[in-house]
Amino acid sequence: MSKSKADVIMSGNEAIARGAVEAGIGFCASYPGTPSTEILTSLFETASKTDSHVEWSSNEKVAMESAAAASWAGIPALCSMKSLGLNVASDFLLNLNLSGTGKGGLVIVVCDDPKGHSSSNEQDSRFYAKAAQIPLFEPSTYQEAKDTVVEGLRLSKKYEIPVLIRSTTRLSHSRGLVTIGKVSAKPLKAGVLQERLYNVPAPHLRHRDLLGKIEKIAEEFERSPFNIEADITNMKLLLISSGISSSYVREALHSIPSHRIGHLSLVTSFPLPKKTIINLLKRTDRVLFIEENDPFIEDEVRGLSAELEGVPHFYGKRSGHIPSYGEMNTDIVSTRLQQLTGQQMIKTTKKESHVSDLLIERPLTFCAGCTHRNFYWAVRTVKKRLGGKLVVAGDIGCYSLGVFYDEAMDTMQAMGSGVGVGSGLGQLHRYGFDSKVVSVAGDSTFFHACLPGLINARHKNADLTFVILDNATTAMTGFQVHPGSSEQEDSLRRVRVEGLVKAVEPDFFSLGDATDIKSLTDLLHSTVQKEGLKILLLDSVCRLEEVKRIPGFVGATPVHIDRDLCKGEKCKICARDFGCPGLSWDQETNYPIVLDHVCVRCGACISVCPHDAIVEGE
Amino acid sequence: MRDPYSILVAGVGGQGNLVCGRIIAEAAVLQGLRPVVGDTFGASRRGGSVMTHIRIGKQDWGPLIPKGEVDVLLGFEPVEALRAAVKYAGERTVAIVSKMAIPPSNVTSGDLRYPAISDIAQGLESVCRSVHMLDTEQVLEDMGSTRVLNSFMIGALSSIEDVPLDSKNLRKAISNVLESEKDLAAFQKGAKAL
Repeated sequence: MSKSKADVIMSGNEAIARGAVEAGIGFCASYPGTPSTEILTSLFETASKTDSHVEWSSNEKVAMESAAAASWAGIPALCSMKSLGLNVASDFLLNLNLSGTGKGGLVIVVCDDPKGHSSSNEQDSRFYAKAAQIPLFEPSTYQEAKDTVVEGLRLSKKYEIPVLIRSTTRLSHSRGLVTIGKVSAKPLKAGVLQERLYNVPAPHLRHRDLLGKIEKIAEEFERSPFNIEADITNMKLLLISSGISSSYVREALHSIPSHRIGHLSLVTSFPLPKKTIINLLKRTDRVLFIEENDPFIEDEVRGLSAELEGVPHFYGKRSGHIPSYGEMNTDIVSTRLQQLTGQQMIKTTKKESHVSDLLIERPLTFCAGCTHRNFYWAVRTVKKRLGGKLVVAGDIGCYSLGVFYDEAMDTMQAMGSGVGVGSGLGQLHRYGFDSKVVSVAGDSTFFHACLPGLINARHKNADLTFVILDNATTAMTGFQVHPGSSEQEDSLRRVRVEGLVKAVEPDFFSLGDATDIKSLTDLLHSTVQKEGLKILLLDSVCRLEEVKRIPGFVGATPVHIDRDLCKGEKCKICARDFGCPGLSWDQETNYPIVLDHVCVRCGACISVCPHDAIVEGE
Repeated sequence: MRDPYSILVAGVGGQGNLVCGRIIAEAAVLQGLRPVVGDTFGASRRGGSVMTHIRIGKQDWGPLIPKGEVDVLLGFEPVEALRAAVKYAGERTVAIVSKMAIPPSNVTSGDLRYPAISDIAQGLESVCRSVHMLDTEQVLEDMGSTRVLNSFMIGALSSIEDVPLDSKNLRKAISNVLESEKDLAAFQKGAKAL
């Protein structure tokens, strides 16, 4: 196949961003989260050319609210987020659906993460489309990823309804060729807000109107060119798939000799194009569903088939034929196809291996010199001093790796949950809960979701130490700017964590230096023993961000091991327990060594050695 | 050509898997073919395993290589190469593996020993068609930079008989993506490495 001049290699996320540019979207807002981040990163790159507004909002709910506001004023808008981000924004979404999106149009993109490669759950966000009764697209190719944004905006404008596009990790983070179209040159001008952008006093009537819209959209979906039927004549088996799973189905069908297997690649998966599906169900007596993660389409189709006279056999997650958790892949589809058709695939055989004992794991660690490690080292030391009576309620960010660091973190759920959980634990004295409570959050997470929990802790006089690990960037997702970032563009005004937390009038507040383990440990120890709400704001450093900002940067404190003082194998505290990648255990000599190409020369490890064997100098 | 032709790149975060995928994809486009490149990089910044699945064909294939269907495995790190091979290699797989180890934290901590390279090579041989263990450390030292590992490995890839990508296009893709003379020299060295 020859390549057209306009074909460009794009990831699913880049294609979604390109779709926004072609659709003429003028207002884009998001909060970073894997695997969705690159959508907005790409839009930032084109923002100056297209003269559009692009922002990292303080959280996903604010992003959606801001984007809806733009849409109400007539400016086409997009907001993107990861799966868990839509939970944050869902309160607003389940009202916006009734209020409508006005003249501008609003496309919401959610990127789910089956198997939780970079997430703490593997939720299926398609249920929000059903809960909110809004149209849902599940693109299966990079091309569709781009084109569904254009189509989604058209639909949103026409029906004044928010439109949801759902991607998953493998579409967002893989790349292929996309035929690009023209960039919209339509000038945008804000208009006046329409009347009654609220749902009271009769939300049920707004609900009625919404259902009317969704019925019309279902009609449109019957004719949608995105839904592709293949080999449906004379079929013995029908596969219904959506999203990237459709690409696995197409691949699996290539290596099976039979041609009597039909395939519906369904992109408009809510509301279902009922007639299209009923017509297909009438032509087969067996249907296999392939989708990530939950049986969303499967359940909808099973519900639909109740109207049929002869119901086909359904195979999928409900029947146990397809795994109900984890990611989809071509192998899963192939295995089921072989079983259901009784045919062997044209496939290379895999040799059995017996080498598993060589496959040592590669655990995730804090980077060399990361000050989060210093903090958890301090936690661990203080916990020992308190005879174990210290619990750490954690939060979401790089510092979540604390769960792997000698289990220094006890809980870790949603953004902002550390201080909320701490607020509860800090009020359990009457029931004999006698551990000191420490809640941890990073700076970006602090702005995202910690304020209500912190205010509650203050109001209820919870006995709690809230520690903010402030490295002034959104480190986990690639250093996006946030309200507290030290460097801001001219149009942005910095909001300081210190001013905000002092405003709740904690019983004790202190700044701390996370690069100095000794002073940090003493500060944490003395603080947790005080009564009431204590807040520590720790000046922290992301070493990756530091090198990005100052190329070639290394610290001023090189270290080496003094073997006269080092206790060798009897101790191992530096290499085994502290575990900075800059230090390594040398199996030949049985002494630790400093890896000069990894060490960032921060000198933090000096105070970790109880024998003073880590000394400053080359 | 075999369609799809599947290349799996296995390494550790920071080694340049993503760039390797970009270069090979670009070469495929220059060749008039359609590449699909699937990355796993969620935790790559934190020293985790990273795999890049590259599919090349006349149509778009899935972003994950089915088990056993790898044509070439480019291993940037021995244990990661073996991990990828155990999961995805088959009777067609030619493995090209850099012998330079990046010990994980459970090895630097002194808790575990990094397996012997000869054991890893044997393990690879048990699941692949053929295995080439490359002494990259010496080569890269001679060239004065470990950053050219990508281009060296792509050079080695170019010398595999049934690879559907011309050396000319791979070289051009390296120039387009990396813009470095050193990388072209590393490519030439790699092309003679097997």
